[in-house]
Amino acid sequence: MLIQTFNVGKTYKNGIAALTDINLSIDYGEFVFLTGASGAGKSTLIRLLFREEPPTAGQIMIGGRSVTRLTVPEMVRLRRNTGVVFQDFRLMEKGTVFDNVSFALKAVERPWPEIRRRVPEVLERVGLGGREHEHVMNLSGGEQQRVAVARAIINNPLILFADEPTGDLDPKTSGELMQLFDEINKEGTTIVMATHDQIIVERMQKRVLTLKSGHLIGDAVGGWQL
Amino acid sequence: MKLSSFRYIAPQCFKSMRNNGWMTAAAIITITISLFLCAFFWLLLLNINANVTDVEKDVRVLAYVDFDVVPAERKEIEQELKWIAGVADVSFVPKEQGIHTLEERYGDSDLVESLGGVNPLPDMFSITAIDTNQVSAIAEAVSQIEGIYEVQYGEGTVEKLLSLTDGLRKFGYVIMGLLALCAVVLIAMATRLTVQTRKKEIMVMKWVGATDAFIRWPFILEGMILGLVGAVLALGLLLFLYSRAALYVSINIGFLNILPLSAVWAPATGFTLAAGFLLGLIGSMFPLARFLDV
Repeated sequence: MLIQTFNVGKTYKNGIAALTDINLSIDYGEFVFLTGASGAGKSTLIRLLFREEPPTAGQIMIGGRSVTRLTVPEMVRLRRNTGVVFQDFRLMEKGTVFDNVSFALKAVERPWPEIRRRVPEVLERVGLGGREHEHVMNLSGGEQQRVAVARAIINNPLILFADEPTGDLDPKTSGELMQLFDEINKEGTTIVMATHDQIIVERMQKRVLTLKSGHLIGDAVGGWQL
Repeated sequence: MKLSSFRYIAPQCFKSMRNNGWMTAAAIITITISLFLCAFFWLLLLNINANVTDVEKDVRVLAYVDFDVVPAERKEIEQELKWIAGVADVSFVPKEQGIHTLEERYGDSDLVESLGGVNPLPDMFSITAIDTNQVSAIAEAVSQIEGIYEVQYGEGTVEKLLSLTDGLRKFGYVIMGLLALCAVVLIAMATRLTVQTRKKEIMVMKWVGATDAFIRWPFILEGMILGLVGAVLALGLLLFLYSRAALYVSINIGFLNILPLSAVWAPATGFTLAAGFLLGLIGSMFPLARFLDV
């Protein structure tokens, strides 16, 4: 198994229990939706899975290692094998498409010739070929999200976490982005995507984990379960 | 971290300084003033030490010999003086040499004749101490020797001088410490502001697996550059003003021994640049810890 959680819980300092007793397993190459209403705990679970914050109970194993017990170099290695995409894109507004995408390679200290070769390749892959010198703020929402996806996949991650990536996109653009995710998944990347978009879940017909009030209440392949 | 990563780090650092222009300018000005004052106090202490050393070299115990002491007894006294703990050197000054010294000092070619043909001075011993702090103890021991009727060593003056220079040294160190602290705080504030404006970028760096060193270096480099630029400005100002002050003092206050610029520029450069570099380094490291908690 690539991802396993054992009785995972998250209670914030204010006493609110965002997640309780989450047990799940995700295998290599799967495409999994985390669904549920707002406040169900989807984003919290995503944050725990990519180790943005630690759980307050239970264990999270990725690739057979407990993420709460990783040393700093192991954490760095894990993150280099993990891509993350957010609803609000989280791009560097002052930069160009190239600046934003190449940033992920610069940060992991890849050599400059590789950066110059890889960025156009991955932009071509997400449908933004030839647009590396455009300023990201001049792009549409869907294009900005593609830049974020390009940044997330440029290091060829094993897992791609996406937290409501279509939340700010219109239905047509959302559909295009899901097609891109599907292609990335077919190339072998495991995708874990939090969404409350019923239409997307129904259309994709993938494995769906359903959360309600911090509890995992459903795990099945198919459409929307609530 | 790979050396080639500086290709990314260096431009980031300059971009950040440009984007936070006012804070960068404020930090450089404060570092310049702080380092200038630090180096000024340091040079002041260096000059005080040089002058005190000169004065200390001149501190001697003068032991006047009884008039009825014969040469053989004088030899014994000299031996006893040399045996006193802390004595560096003992030299005998016969009364003829003593009167000759007075003649030179007062410009009188024949002082003995003006005093009625009699040299009223006694023979004496001039004693130097290994450590100026021991002068009073040596004087006390000398006064106990038979055949010595009076001992002089500038009682109180030496103690006052030592106490004054010691106080000045301590005051200088406190001021230097406070100024260094000001510089560190300012650099930390500038770095903190940069960290805040680049918070999102830092988070993305963490998500994609950047090492701590890679994330830290642009900020550390920025701190070191701020420190070094401030140090260079402070050094220029300091050396310019010092050369003017040295000239003025040598012309107008002759008794003060001010160290020449040629003797201070190298240590002053080393001191100021090293201080700027270190203050920049320390100041830039503090604000980063919170954001790097992976």
